Amino acid sequence: MKDFIVLKFLDRFKRIFEKLGVDYAVMRRILQVKLIMDSRRVPTIMKNSSSKNTGMEDKKSSFNMSLLMYGLIGLMLVSLVLIGSNFIYQMSFVFGILIFMLMTSLISDFSSVLLDIRDKNIIFSKPVKSITLSMAKAIHILIYMFTITFSLTGIALIASLVKYGIIFFIMFLAEIILVDLFIVVLTALLYLFILRFFDGEKLKDIINYVQIILSITIAIGYQLLARLFSFVNLNMVFTPKWWQYFIVPLWFGAPFELIIHRNYKFTFLLLSILGVIVPIISIVVYLKLIPFFEENLQKLNNNSEQKKENKRFVNVISSIVCRTKSENAFFRFSCAMMKSEREFKLKVYPSLGFSLIFPFIFLFSDITGKGFTGIASSKMYLTIYFCALMLPTVIMMMKYSGNYKGAWIYKVAPIKDTSDIYKGVFKAFIVKLVAPVFTLESLIFIVIFGIRIVPDLILVFLNMTLYIVICFRAFRKALPFSEAFGTAQQSEGLIIIPIMFLLGGLALLHFIATLFTFGVLIYIIIALLVNAVAWKKAFNIIL
Amino acid sequence: MKGGGRMELKQEPIITLNALRMNYGDKEVLKGINLEVGKGQIIGYIGPNGAGKSTTVKIMLGLVTGYTGKVTILGQDISKGDVEYKRKIGYVPEVADIYDSLTAAEYLTFIGELYGLNYNEVDKKAKKLMEMFQIEDVYHSRMTSYSKGMKQKVLLISSLLHNPDILFYDEPLSGLDATSVMVVKKILRELASQGKTIFYSSHIMEVVEKISSRIILIKEGQVVADGSFEALKDKCKEGSLEEIFNQLTGASDHKKIAEEFVSVVQEGQKI
Repeated sequence: MKDFIVLKFLDRFKRIFEKLGVDYAVMRRILQVKLIMDSRRVPTIMKNSSSKNTGMEDKKSSFNMSLLMYGLIGLMLVSLVLIGSNFIYQMSFVFGILIFMLMTSLISDFSSVLLDIRDKNIIFSKPVKSITLSMAKAIHILIYMFTITFSLTGIALIASLVKYGIIFFIMFLAEIILVDLFIVVLTALLYLFILRFFDGEKLKDIINYVQIILSITIAIGYQLLARLFSFVNLNMVFTPKWWQYFIVPLWFGAPFELIIHRNYKFTFLLLSILGVIVPIISIVVYLKLIPFFEENLQKLNNNSEQKKENKRFVNVISSIVCRTKSENAFFRFSCAMMKSEREFKLKVYPSLGFSLIFPFIFLFSDITGKGFTGIASSKMYLTIYFCALMLPTVIMMMKYSGNYKGAWIYKVAPIKDTSDIYKGVFKAFIVKLVAPVFTLESLIFIVIFGIRIVPDLILVFLNMTLYIVICFRAFRKALPFSEAFGTAQQSEGLIIIPIMFLLGGLALLHFIATLFTFGVLIYIIIALLVNAVAWKKAFNIIL
Repeated sequence: MKGGGRMELKQEPIITLNALRMNYGDKEVLKGINLEVGKGQIIGYIGPNGAGKSTTVKIMLGLVTGYTGKVTILGQDISKGDVEYKRKIGYVPEVADIYDSLTAAEYLTFIGELYGLNYNEVDKKAKKLMEMFQIEDVYHSRMTSYSKGMKQKVLLISSLLHNPDILFYDEPLSGLDATSVMVVKKILRELASQGKTIFYSSHIMEVVEKISSRIILIKEGQVVADGSFEALKDKCKEGSLEEIFNQLTGASDHKKIAEEFVSVVQEGQKI
C-alpha cells in the first residue's frame, strides 16, 4: 500500500505521540487511509472506471492549481515583506492576509475533514482510543494547513532569509507555525460554538456562505492587492491604542519590532506575548473541549429546525408572472431549488457578487479621472450593463444540480409542454436572482446619476430579459437541475465570449438610442414587443 | 437453537445493562433498560422507529456517551474508558457508513489492523470471505462502484475479520438479494452455535422471528416484551411476530390508517 513521505517524517516523532498516550501505529494507519482517500476525492458522478481516472487527475491537478494560486498570492507577500523596514505594519499586514486566507480555505475546503461523522462509526467502534483518533484528525488537517501555508509563504520565507538574516527567518517560521495551530483551533472552536447552539444544517449553510465569500474575496483581492501599496504608508508611526490589542495580526507583527528593531516598548512586548500565549491557551482549551466537540458532532445530521416558510410571497409572485399551472409549479420548484441547494449557490452566488461589483470597478476608475460631478451628468450609467455580464455563466448553471438524479421526475411526470418548464424556471431566475441584484444596483445608480436615468434602467432590464432568452438559445439545452456539476462545463465555456459581445451590441443600441429625443422610449416599446415574441416562441423546443 | 430464554441462563452474562437511561437534550430516549444476555444467544432487538434500538447499540459500542446506569460487557464496565472490550465486538451499523473511495482490500485490511491483526493475515482472510460472497473480482475496485448489496457484504465481512465474540448487527440484511439473505441467516445460526452472541436489530419481523432465540421488544425507551418467540406467542395469543409487534406497540389500528390513507389518495379532482 502507498506510503507517504509525510508519514515517514512523522515516524521521527513517534516517541512524543506515544508519550501523549497515542497508539502510534494505529494513528499512522488512520492517516494513511485518510491521505489515500483525499487523493481520490472523486465527484460521485464518475461512476464508470474509464472516466473515474480522468476525474481523479482533474481533482488532483485542481488541488495543485490552487496551490499555484496560493503561490501567486505568496508573491504579494514577498513584496510586502521586502518593501521596507516598518515591520509592525508590514508584518502585521502579511499575517493579516495569511490568517484570512488560511481561515477561509480551512472552512471551505477542510470542513469535511473536521466534520466527518463517518469516522466515529467506522473507527471508534473498533478498539481505538479517542485520543488516537483526535490526534489523527488534527495531524491530517495540519498536513494540509502546512501545505497551503508554505505555498503561500515559502517564497517570502526564503526572501526574508536572504534580506534580513537567520533570526528574522526563524521568527517568521515559528510564528507561521503558531498561526497555523491557532487557526485550526479557532476554526474548531467556532464550529463547536455553532454546533452548540444551532444544528448541522445551519453549520452547513454557514460553511456555504464562507465558501462564497472566499471566492468573491479572492477575485476582488486581485484588484485590491495591486493597489495595496498605496495604502501602506511606510512612514506612518505606530501609536498604541487600547483596541489594537484585539487586532490579531498585530500580535504577530510586534515581535519583529521587538527583536529585530530592539524596540522594547511595553506595547510591543505585550502584543508579542499575546501572540505566543493566546495560541497556546487556545490549544489547551481545545484539547479540553474535544469530547464536547465529538458529542455535538452528532447533531450534524439533525435538522430540528422547522422553517416556517413565507409561502404567500412566492405564491403571489408566481400567480402574477406565470400563465399556466405547470409553469407555476416550475416557478415554485426553481425558487425552492435556488434557495436551498448549496452547491448551486456556491457556483452562482459569486457570479452574482461580481455582477454587483463590476459596474463600479469601471465607474470608479472614471470617477478618479473626471470627478464625481463630471460623471453624474454623463452617460456612464450604461456601465450597469456589466451587471448582465454574468448572466450567461449563471444561465449555463441552471441545468446543473448536486441532486441531478432527482431529474427522473421530469421523465415520469406527464408534462406536455417543455416550454412551461423553461418559462417557469427562467421567470423564477429573474425574480429570485436577477431582480434583487439589478434593483440594488439601480438604486445606487439613481443616487449617483439622478432620477433622469429611470427610463434607461427600464430599458436595461428589458434588454436583460431578452438577453436571457438569447443565452438560453445559444447554449446546449438540457432540463433544469438535471445534470451533475462539472460534466460538460468546460466544453461550453468558449461560447460565452461571443455571447458577451452580443451584450455589448445591446448596450451599443441603447447608447445610440440615447442620442435621439424619445429614442429610449421608442427602444423600450420595441424591446417590449421583441421580449413578448421571444418569451412566447423561444422556449418551444424539443429535447 | 430456540428456547434459550432468560430464565435458563446459567453462566456469566456476556452483556448486562442496568437501569440504562439516555437523554438527547430534553428528550428521554432510553428510560431504564435492564438486560442480561448470555453466550450463544441470538437476540432479536426490535421496536418501532425512534424506540431507542440504535441508541442502545451505540452506547454499548461507546459511540454515544452521557448515559446513566451501568453497562457491563464481558465483565468490563465500559464507562471506565478502556477500549479493549471492543476487540471482541463486531459491528454492522444501520446506515452503511463506509469509506467508499477505498477499495475493499484497502478498507478491510485497515479495519483488521484497527483490531490489531496483521496485514497479511487480514488480507488473506478478507479475500477468502469475499470469495465466499462471490464478490472476489471487485476486491481491488473502489467501493464507490459497488451496489448496496456488495457494500453490505463488505460491512459484514469487516465485522467478522477479528473473530469477535459479540456481534451487533443493525439491519444486516439490507440490500442483499434472496440468496445472500439465506446464506447470511445460516451464517448467523452457525456463529451462534459456535458460542457467539448476536444482537440483531431489524424491522423485518419474519426474519427476526425465524432466527432469534430470544426477542426483546422496546417501545419508547422501555422493554415491553422479552422472551422466546414461543413465549411471546403464548402470552399475546397472536400467530406471527408481526402481529405480536403490532399488538404490543399499540399499532393495532393499522387497518383504519390504511383505509384513511387510500381515501385521501382518491380525494380531489379527477384527471
